[in-house]
Amino acid sequence: MSDFILRTNKLSKKYKSDFAIENINVTIKRGEIYGFIGQNGAGKSTMLRLVTGLTFPTSGSIELFGNNNPKELIDEQKRTGAIIEQPALFPNMTAYENLEVHRLQKGIPGKECIINTLELVGLRDTGKKKAKNFSLGMKQRLGLGIALLSDPEFLILDEPTNGLDPMGIVELRELIKVLNREKGLTVLISSHMLSELYQLANKFGIIHRGKLLEELTGKELDEKCRQHLRIKVDDPTKGATILEKQLSTTDFEVMPDGTIKLFNFLDDVFTVSRTLTSNGLVIEHLSQNGDSLENYFSKLIGGVDIV
Amino acid sequence: MSNLIRAELYKLQRNKTFWVLIGTITGLSALLHFLILIEWWQLSGTSFDSAGLSELNALSTFTLPLFFNLIVSTLAGFYISNEFSHHNVIKNQMISGNKRSHIFLAKFIVFTLGSLIVTILIPLVIAIILVMLFGHGDVLNFTNLLYLGRAFSLFTAQFLCFTAIVLLIAIVTEDSGKTIIFTLLLSIVMFVIEKFLTYPFIKMLYENTIFHQFSEVFKFQMTNGEIIKSILIASVSLIIIMLCGVLLFNRKEIK
Repeated sequence: MSDFILRTNKLSKKYKSDFAIENINVTIKRGEIYGFIGQNGAGKSTMLRLVTGLTFPTSGSIELFGNNNPKELIDEQKRTGAIIEQPALFPNMTAYENLEVHRLQKGIPGKECIINTLELVGLRDTGKKKAKNFSLGMKQRLGLGIALLSDPEFLILDEPTNGLDPMGIVELRELIKVLNREKGLTVLISSHMLSELYQLANKFGIIHRGKLLEELTGKELDEKCRQHLRIKVDDPTKGATILEKQLSTTDFEVMPDGTIKLFNFLDDVFTVSRTLTSNGLVIEHLSQNGDSLENYFSKLIGGVDIV
Repeated sequence: MSNLIRAELYKLQRNKTFWVLIGTITGLSALLHFLILIEWWQLSGTSFDSAGLSELNALSTFTLPLFFNLIVSTLAGFYISNEFSHHNVIKNQMISGNKRSHIFLAKFIVFTLGSLIVTILIPLVIAIILVMLFGHGDVLNFTNLLYLGRAFSLFTAQFLCFTAIVLLIAIVTEDSGKTIIFTLLLSIVMFVIEKFLTYPFIKMLYENTIFHQFSEVFKFQMTNGEIIKSILIASVSLIIIMLCGVLLFNRKEIK
C-alpha cells in the first residue's frame, strides 16, 4: 500500500495559449490534510478537476494511491469523494433521493449508508424538502454528504465553506478533523481563505498564477510566520548559552547559518542586546521578524494582494 | 454497469419532464385515436390504410420524424442536457469511478427506453385498447398483428439510432433549448431532402438512412431483402453513432 495518496509530476493544463496550471508537483501523504491556497483564478479548481478526471492534463502525470496508469486511475476514483466548485445536486430531489442516486452510481450495497451520512452532515430531518429549497449551507452539507457517502479514503473539497455561516464553517472544520483523526481520511482542501485553512490543514501548497510557489508543513508555516527576534552574533553557541542561562529562555532556535531566532522578549529588545554585549558578544544583526499569515502569503506571491 | 443503469432509471422515474410527456402523449394519443374511430377525423393514404388497419391511422402521426423528434428532444433536453448545464450533476457521475463509456451506454439505454415508452409504447397500447373498446377488435387478426410486430420492430431499430443521435446532440450542446432546436433542424433538413432534393447521389444517400427507413418499415409488403437492408442500415448506423458518442464522451472536458 502506497504511503502517497496523490502525487503529481509536472502537471500542466493549457487553455488555448494560456497555462491554467504549469508544472505542478504536489505530494500528499496518507492521513494529511492538505490545504491548497491561492487567489481566485490561481488554478486551484483546475488542479482539482485534473485530479478528479473531469478534465485532462496537457502534460505531466497524476499518481493516485500509487497508481499512475491513466486507464486505471478511474478505478482509484472509487476510493475518493469530491466536491468541485458548487455541490452538484438534483434540485427536484430530496436529500435522501440525491444520496440514493449516488449510492446506486457507486454501487454501494444497503441503504443504511444514506441515513448515516444524512446524520453525519446534519440533514437527517429535512424529510421531503427538495434540494432546490435548501439554503446554500444545506446544499454545501448535502454536497459533502455525497462526497462522504462511499466512505472514501481521500476527500477532495474545492472551497467547501462558500456560503456557510460562521457556525457552519466551524462545524465543517470539526467534522473534517474528526474524520481525519478517527478514520484516517486524507483531505485535499482548496480555499482562498488562508486563515480558514490554517486552522484545519497540516500541510500547505501555495499556488499563484498556475504555479506552485511553495509546499510546506504547518510547522514550517508557523515558523515562517511566528514573530521573533533575529539575532546574529560572532559566537552563536555562546549566545545561545547566555540566552538560556541569563535570560532563562529556551524558546529560541539556532539556525544552520548561525542566526538565532528568539521567540520571546519581543517587547524588550534592549535587555537582549545589553545581555549579549555585556557578555562580550558582538551583535552583527538584531531585528524583529515574522509575518502575519496574510503578509507572508502576500510577500510570497510578490504583491500586496491579500487573500 | 448495472448500477449505472439502475441510477439512470431512478433519475428517469423522478424526472418531471418524463411524466409530463407521458401525460401529454397519453392524452393526445387517446384524443387522436378517438377522433379517428368516431370518424370525425378522416385520415387517409397512410401505411396503416394500405394494411387494412385504418382504425390505427392516428399512429402514423407518431411515426413522423417531424413529430416524434419533439418528444425525444424534449426528453433529451431536460433529462440529459440539464445534467451538464443547470445542475451540473454530471460531475458527480464522472468522478464516481465508473468508466465514461459505461456512463454513456447507461444513459443511452435508459434514455432510449424512456423515449420508446413515450413515443411508441403509449400510442400503440392506447390504440389497441381503444380499437377493442370501440368494437373493432377483429382488425387485430394474426396477419395484422404480424404486420404491426414487423413494422414496429424495424421502426424501433431505426429509432435506437435516432435516440443515439439526439443523445449525442444533447451531450454536445449541454443545453435543453439547443438540443430541441438542433434536433428539430436535423428533422427539417431530412424532410427537405426527402421532399425536394432530386440529385440522384443525395437521394441515394438519403434512401440509405434511418430517416427514409422510418416510413419504409410501415409498408404493408416488404421483401426479405428490404427487411435485411433495413436491419443493416439500423445496425451500421447505430454502431457508427455509438462509437462516435463514446469517443466524444471519453474526450469531453466537464466544466
